[in-house]
Order: sequence, then C-alpha cells, then structure tokens
Amino acid sequence: MEKKIVEFTNLLRKAGVRVSVAESLDAFNAIDEMPLEDRELFKDALRTTMVKRGDDIDTYDRLFDLFWSGFHDQLQNELKQALGGMPGEFDLERLLEQLRDLLENMDIDLSELAKALLSMDANALEQLIQQAGEEAEVGNIRNMLQIGFFSRRMIEQMNMEGAAGELKTLMDRLREEGMDEERIAELEALLKAVQEAARRAVRQFTERELDKQNHDYIERFRRESLLEKSFYNLTEEDLRRLREVVQRLAQKLKSVITMRRKRERRGKFDLKTTMRKNMAHGGVPFELVFKQRKKEKPKLVVLCDISSSVANVSRFFLQFIFSLQDCFTKVRSFVFVAELGEVSQLFRDRDIFDAIDLALDGGEVINPYTRSNFGMAFHVFWRDYLSAIDSRTTVVVIGDARNNYNDPRAWCLREVHSKAKSVIWINPEAPGAWGFGDSVMDKYLPYTDVAEECRNLKQLTRLVDKLVL
Amino acid sequence: MFDSVEEVQKRLLDQSYIAGKKIATVVYLASKLNKPVLVEGPAGVGKTELAKVVAAAIGRKLIRLQCYEGLDESKALYEWEYSKQLLYTQMLRDKISDVIAGTKTLKEASERIAAQDDVFFSERFIVARPLLKAITSADPVLLLIDEVDKSDPEFEAFLLEVLSDYTVSVPEVGTIQAKHIPMVFLTSNDAREMTDALKRRCLHLHIDFPSQEEEIRILELKVPGIGDRLVQDIVELVQRIRKLDLKKTPSISETLDWARALMVLNADALDIEMVNDTMSVILKHQGDIAKAQSELNALLQKKAAEKAAEKAQPAPAPAAPAAPVAKKSVLH
Repeated sequence: MEKKIVEFTNLLRKAGVRVSVAESLDAFNAIDEMPLEDRELFKDALRTTMVKRGDDIDTYDRLFDLFWSGFHDQLQNELKQALGGMPGEFDLERLLEQLRDLLENMDIDLSELAKALLSMDANALEQLIQQAGEEAEVGNIRNMLQIGFFSRRMIEQMNMEGAAGELKTLMDRLREEGMDEERIAELEALLKAVQEAARRAVRQFTERELDKQNHDYIERFRRESLLEKSFYNLTEEDLRRLREVVQRLAQKLKSVITMRRKRERRGKFDLKTTMRKNMAHGGVPFELVFKQRKKEKPKLVVLCDISSSVANVSRFFLQFIFSLQDCFTKVRSFVFVAELGEVSQLFRDRDIFDAIDLALDGGEVINPYTRSNFGMAFHVFWRDYLSAIDSRTTVVVIGDARNNYNDPRAWCLREVHSKAKSVIWINPEAPGAWGFGDSVMDKYLPYTDVAEECRNLKQLTRLVDKLVL
Repeated sequence: MFDSVEEVQKRLLDQSYIAGKKIATVVYLASKLNKPVLVEGPAGVGKTELAKVVAAAIGRKLIRLQCYEGLDESKALYEWEYSKQLLYTQMLRDKISDVIAGTKTLKEASERIAAQDDVFFSERFIVARPLLKAITSADPVLLLIDEVDKSDPEFEAFLLEVLSDYTVSVPEVGTIQAKHIPMVFLTSNDAREMTDALKRRCLHLHIDFPSQEEEIRILELKVPGIGDRLVQDIVELVQRIRKLDLKKTPSISETLDWARALMVLNADALDIEMVNDTMSVILKHQGDIAKAQSELNALLQKKAAEKAAEKAQPAPAPAAPAAPVAKKSVLH
C-alpha cells in the first residue's frame, strides 16, 4: 500500500500538482485512520491531505481513477462476461463447491494462477497480473505499438500456458474420477472463457499503463514548452492554457509585489502622530509611530498594436496588467493599427477576458482591418491624449514597429518621452531584426528607456515584473 | 471526538447541518490527525457555518478571528496593555522608590529597576487576542480564522507558527505552549491564493454550491413546514440562476431567506408576480435582477403549463397540512 501511495504521489507531481513530503506523510497518517474498503472515503482522504488547490482537483480526480484502477472493476467485468457466456441454468456456486471437494481429495499441485482461474478469484488474479506487470517492466512502455509486446511478455511471465496445461490435466483426472461428461464439457468451456478474460485483462492492464505514462508525458511537455512557446504560433488550446498560466503568474507576482512594498515602508519617526496617539497614556510615549514611506504606484498608459502579428503579445500583456490592477494607480489602455482609440472603458464594464477579446477586435473605436501605421497612431496619441501623461506615467508600447514604409513621425514619441516618467517598448521581434525591411524600430529606439524582445511568456513575465516595481 | 465518518455526518445533522461525505471525511481526519482545515469555496456555501456546527457538535467553545486587510499581530495574537502598565507604575511609585532607595548612581538605580523588568512584562499585562486566547484556554476550543484570504501575506507568517506548533512567542515572556491543541478551521473565498507553506500545514476542503437534491434537503431541514412544491420550485430556480453569469451568485443562506419570505407570504408555489416582488432577497444587484428575469419567465411559464396540464387531470390530494401552519405564523 505504501508503495502504491508513493507511486501515486509521484504521478501527481509529474502532472504538476505540488505535493510535499510532509503532505504525503499526512496522507499515510490519514489512511491509517480510515476504513479502506470505502473507495470514496479513501479518495477524499488522499485528496484533502495532498491536493490543496481548487484548480488541481480535476487533475487529481482523473489521475485517481486512472491509478487506483478501476482495473479491478474491469477485471471483474471480464470475468462476469465469461460467466455470462455460459448456459442459463449453469450454477457456478455448486460447481465450485464440487471442485473444491474433489481437489481436496485428489492431490494435484496447482500453480497460483491455475487456482485463481479455477476459482475465478478476481483479487488473486489482479495480484498476479500486477506482479507480472512489474516483472515485465511494463512501466517502460512508451507507445501504442508496444502494447502487444508487453502483453505477451506479461503472459509469459505469468506462465499462462503452464496453467492451461495444468487445468487440462485436471480435467483428465476428473474424467478418470468418473465425473459426468456433460459437467466436464461445461467446465472446460468456462475455463476457456476465463482464460480468455484473463488475457484480455492483461492487455487492458498494459493499455492503462501506457495511458499513465502518456498522461504525464504530455503534461510535462506542455508545461515546459508553454512558457517558451512563441506567441506567433499558438493553437486555440494553447491560448486557453496560457490564459490560466498567466492568471497564476499574475497572482504570484502580486503577492511578491505587496511584500516588496511593505518592506519599503518603515520611515522616519513621526513625532506628531506619536504624541497624539499617546495622549491616552498621559503623554508618555509607549507606542512609537513611524512615517510610512510609500512607494509610488506607477501610472500606466498602454498602447497596444492589435494587428495580427502582435495580437497575442498584446493579449497576454493586457491580461497581466488588468490582473495586477491594484498595483497601479491608474491604467489607461489604447489600441491601434493605423488609427488609435481608447479602450479603458471596456475594462471597466466587462470581465477581463471579454474586454480583451473586444479590444483586440478594435474595441468599436478603431478599424482593425487596415495596415499598420505607427507614425499615424503616435500622431493621434500626441494630438488627443498627451494630457494623459505626466511625470509619474509609464508608457508601454507593444508593437513590432513594422510601419509599411509610412512616415515614422518619431518626434511624436519624443514628445511623449519627454513628458513621461519612462517609455517601455515591447517588441515581439528579436533585436537583430529591428531596423531591417519596413521596421522603423531604430527610429523610435532613442526615445525609449527600455526596449525588449518579448516572444514568449517567460520574457513577458520578466518584463511585467520589472514594470510594477 | 468522532469514531467514524458516519458519526460525523450524524452529529452534524443533529446540529441541522447536512454534511456530504467529502466534508465529513475531512472533519473526521482533522479530529484524528490534529490538523487545521483550510475550507475554500465561493461565498455563502456554509464554510463559516461548518466551523460553528462542528464546535457545537463536539461541545467546544468557538473562538473566532475575523481577518481583514491590515490585521496585525496586536489584533490577532496579543497586545501589551500600555495603560495598565502605566497605571501600575503610577500606583507602585512608592514601591519603586523603595527599590531604588540607597542607590548612589543612576547606573545602579537602573540596574535595580532592570532586575524588576519581568514584573511589567509578564502575562499580567498581555491582552490575549483570539489566537493567543485559543492557545491558552483552559478548555479545548475550536478556533475559526475567518476569511483568511483577506489578510496580508505577512499575517500568514504569524499563522504558520501557531498552526504548526501551536505555540506563540512573545519576545519578553518567551514561548507560550498550547494547553490543549485547538481544532482549527480557516475559511477562504479565494480572493488571494494562500501560500504553499500555509496550505502544506492544513487539510484542504473545497465546498461548492450544493446539488439540487442536497439543497432541497437543506431547505426542508432548515425551514420546517415548507410545502414540497414550493421547495422544488425555489431550488430549481435558484440552481438555474446560479448558472447565469452574475455579479453575485445567490448563496444558500439567501435561498433560505427567500424560502422563509415566501412562507410568510403564504405561497405554496411560485408565480411570476410573487417572484418579482421578492427577487431582491436573492439578488442584490440591479443588473443581476434584469439578467435573471428572462430565465425566470421561461421557467415559470413552463411551470404554469405543467400546472394547467395537471388541472386538466383529476387533481391529486393537495399537500395542505403545511399551509395552515404558515398562515398561523403570519398572524402572530
């Protein structure tokens, strides 16, 4: 049992559920206190001790069902089916009874497997299959094509052929003992069916093993690559999963940030407040009060290019920013392709994912189906929204600066730069490509304080982290 | 405390709390393993209530610590009672003169005073806040740390010491060990994810809104005398409303309030007018009410059609007995 739980813990860990050693110890203690016959209770007991995040419960449920078999149920099903194939008036109980008596009188040595098959004992059979599985190292199975190979290996390991031989001998002996021919025919048919069932069960066992391996393989692969996967080629599924990842990262970042802020706080001794507060103690300063040096929360203006080449960067950046909203005093967001429009209102009225989808579709303020023109967008911003910027504002531009050979009008960005606290440019292209072809990144570069490549989530996270500090 | 999961269920039921197997299992394990329980789930599913009924079921006093932003050590653990210390120094002034009598230098005098330090920094002058109270209590208690997600991350650090060792360190006094290990429940609405360190020390329980059957059982238990028909209608509607995308989803307690309100109004089944009048009991935002309206009408029309069909057939014996009771209670 302990071994199984350790294995299960490893499986959970592989699937990305964090289970500490202390927690698996708790799990051991917990099942000591529980009656193990009740599957539901067992499941709940393991869950409450090992899985602590609501999001992980689904994964846990899936893995639990995969791991704590259901294999037993499958096996029993197979055996039941084997029985079902027998003629209606067939009485298993009586037959088994008779057999047992006979076996006691005859001294035939039967192997474990033959006994299990003969008595249709699902528990014993399961144990034998598990054992064979371990010896045949089914855990190493990697793909579908190996199912046949490993099943055969297990069947050899169990010595199924040998057991079949033993059973045949047994039948012969029964015949000698003068057992009714009809009875024997029945029995032979049954044993054949049971053996078939056992073989099928072995195959299912290998298949399940493959499932298990695959499951963690896929999960692991996804988790590793999602962070590094380029925003340029994301599938629908990736988008959905990334959304969750961003949410988690944002959450993490938030608690880190609040902690950093708190640490900044302690400042000079505050005489006035101390005196006022200690009036109650007759002016004796028992409680000292310190001025709290507040770290300024940044004000943020975000300009997002929503043309298809950059849309995904904009998407996740916006998700980050609005999940971290309380880390900023004020966030205003604009979208542009050629025209530029403000979408801050959207984020106020709707839930974040709707708002992002709408914003990336032009947000009803601009036409998204045009060719990128950074010069024009900056000009509009300079003309209409320059007042949004003061010396505490950080301006973030997300775009690839591919200007379709239009006038870059870099002076607009210069004006913005001179008024703002800082200008940060997030570019999904690698620095090597800046300034080549229709990229005018080199023209804008002098007026940015930070310009960084951001092609995947890892880079984006690092950027956001810098930004909020 | 409990001998089996079934016993937990039974004893919670005695306190009018319907606990599913999941909940009962966790409570049972918490009592066996002496571990705190972190209860998560949406607002209004009975997280706090669970702690209360467990306290009642095992006959322990409930000590509650309500968390909020800015909650700090002095509000949660302990605080020095400055005014009392001050008062004592005033009253003991003569004694203090005795102590320093005969000293020649300032240094010597402060040495003598320093030797008496522990008089003023002793447990006498500590005001115990909920956490310390739970630990020093003479009888075993149940500690409820409510809405722990509202507190600051630093606060979690205080909690860690209390939850893992059941001790509180007061620098001037030393470490105070728990007399009895309290049973601890923490509730969280998931406003903020708790740190792994905290989660590691707790058993985890996620409570979601009850299924239709469970909610019907809850209503029947908590609102005695309510008609079958009304329960069915209410629960069906509330369950459907919960599926909508609302600002605030109706909680179980709101369902109960609504059922009671409808009882007072002598309803034996829902109709459109009555629902419109009482909607504000379960939905607290104007926008939500508008959204729910269409769902409502669809459901109620379906009900009306069913009713009409029923009338066409010979009516079954009316479930009358409940109604007069309700009427009576209105008159009072």
